[in-house]
Amino acid sequence: MQDSNTATGQRRGFIRRVGFGRQCVLQLAIFAFTSLGFAQVSQAGMISSADARQIEQHASRSATIEAFLSRSDVAAELTRFGVSPEVVLARVDSLSDAEVAALQGRIDEQTAGGDALAVIGVVFLVLLILEVVGVTDIFKSI
Amino acid sequence: MLTSGCASYPAAGFGEYVTAVAVPETPFVPQDRYQCGPAALQTVLQRSGAAVSLPWLVERVYVPGRQGSFQVEVAAAARAAGRIPYRVDGTLEAVGRELAAGRPVLVLQNLGVAWYPRWHFAVVYALDPVRGIVSLRSGTDRERHTAVDVFLRTWARADFWGIVVLRPDELPSEPDRERWFSAVADFERVAAAAAARMAWRTTARHWPEAPMPWFGLGNVAYASGDASAAESHYRRALALDPDYAMARNNLAWALADLGRIDDAVRELERALSSPKLPAALADEIRDSRRQIGARRGP
Repeated sequence: MQDSNTATGQRRGFIRRVGFGRQCVLQLAIFAFTSLGFAQVSQAGMISSADARQIEQHASRSATIEAFLSRSDVAAELTRFGVSPEVVLARVDSLSDAEVAALQGRIDEQTAGGDALAVIGVVFLVLLILEVVGVTDIFKSI
Repeated sequence: MLTSGCASYPAAGFGEYVTAVAVPETPFVPQDRYQCGPAALQTVLQRSGAAVSLPWLVERVYVPGRQGSFQVEVAAAARAAGRIPYRVDGTLEAVGRELAAGRPVLVLQNLGVAWYPRWHFAVVYALDPVRGIVSLRSGTDRERHTAVDVFLRTWARADFWGIVVLRPDELPSEPDRERWFSAVADFERVAAAAAARMAWRTTARHWPEAPMPWFGLGNVAYASGDASAAESHYRRALALDPDYAMARNNLAWALADLGRIDDAVRELERALSSPKLPAALADEIRDSRRQIGARRGP
């Protein structure tokens, strides 16, 4: 196992990179929201429409990642790295919205031309997923 | 989302796109100094019939210290003006479809280069594939005719960002369902109840099989203090998808407000017993059950 502090630091660095735009957006949204001054007051415990969209998007993006992880070529690649697909699947559940969105975007990008995926594409995505879920910190050495 | 850094766009001109289309009625709002965001936004808002003044928009969109406005502020200001901003696909076909529907498209361009960006908002009002021209209201130019390849390069460097603004009774042409649902949900947060209700009703008519618009209508009714209307909307959503746990959660709150605590708790139990309940929601629903159960009193 890697030194966990280094791995966490590395992972945070990744989150910061993919998360920056989002944070910026969030701050601006809060600014815009508060400056308009007609926020609807809602019961705590109620799920707002905007929250519902976030939850649904997160779920559908996670499903894309899970479908990708269940491909046989991907599973083979994971095994080659000595990681069981189940371990990775379990960790996908705990990823942040930004991480899931980033991964799903990358998978869509690589698979845009159809289901056929070059070996290099599979390896790249597998490495990226392992990095994001914190199983390896292989990109540290690049 | 990750962007692929410096996009090199293979300029392919209009490609397959052949339809000349224009919205000559597009208003012209010349910009002052750095105010391209407010000016471009006022252009599309005016075209859509929303009356807002430039100073009102400048206050919301233009942040002097940054000399430019971010896309999110433009979208937020459109919502505040009672319109729904919708991100169009980054293709000339998508722009052409909106123009054909009479809606000019607000676009972000990077007139600099990737490592030294110069952001600029402008409004596409015409496409002419025969002459290879994209026409814009841009800055102080009423008619800026740009070669299509030049336009595509500047647009690509801004990640093909472009929006149309829609009245609550309109839909984009060939809307992406998920993107539109999010656009309406974001609109609902700040819109007047009547406008939010109309937007969800319009959406429900277009996607009669989708529970989300009824969930949205329920939320609007609940926020306006009409728990019994909210109840019937949530039930409509649940008739379309009995496993729609979020609607069941909110239905329980509406029932609780109507004094039907036992019914409310029963709905939450049902949501919790569904095998399709997403893990992320289970805690939320258990929390609702605890809070609503506590209303039973001693």
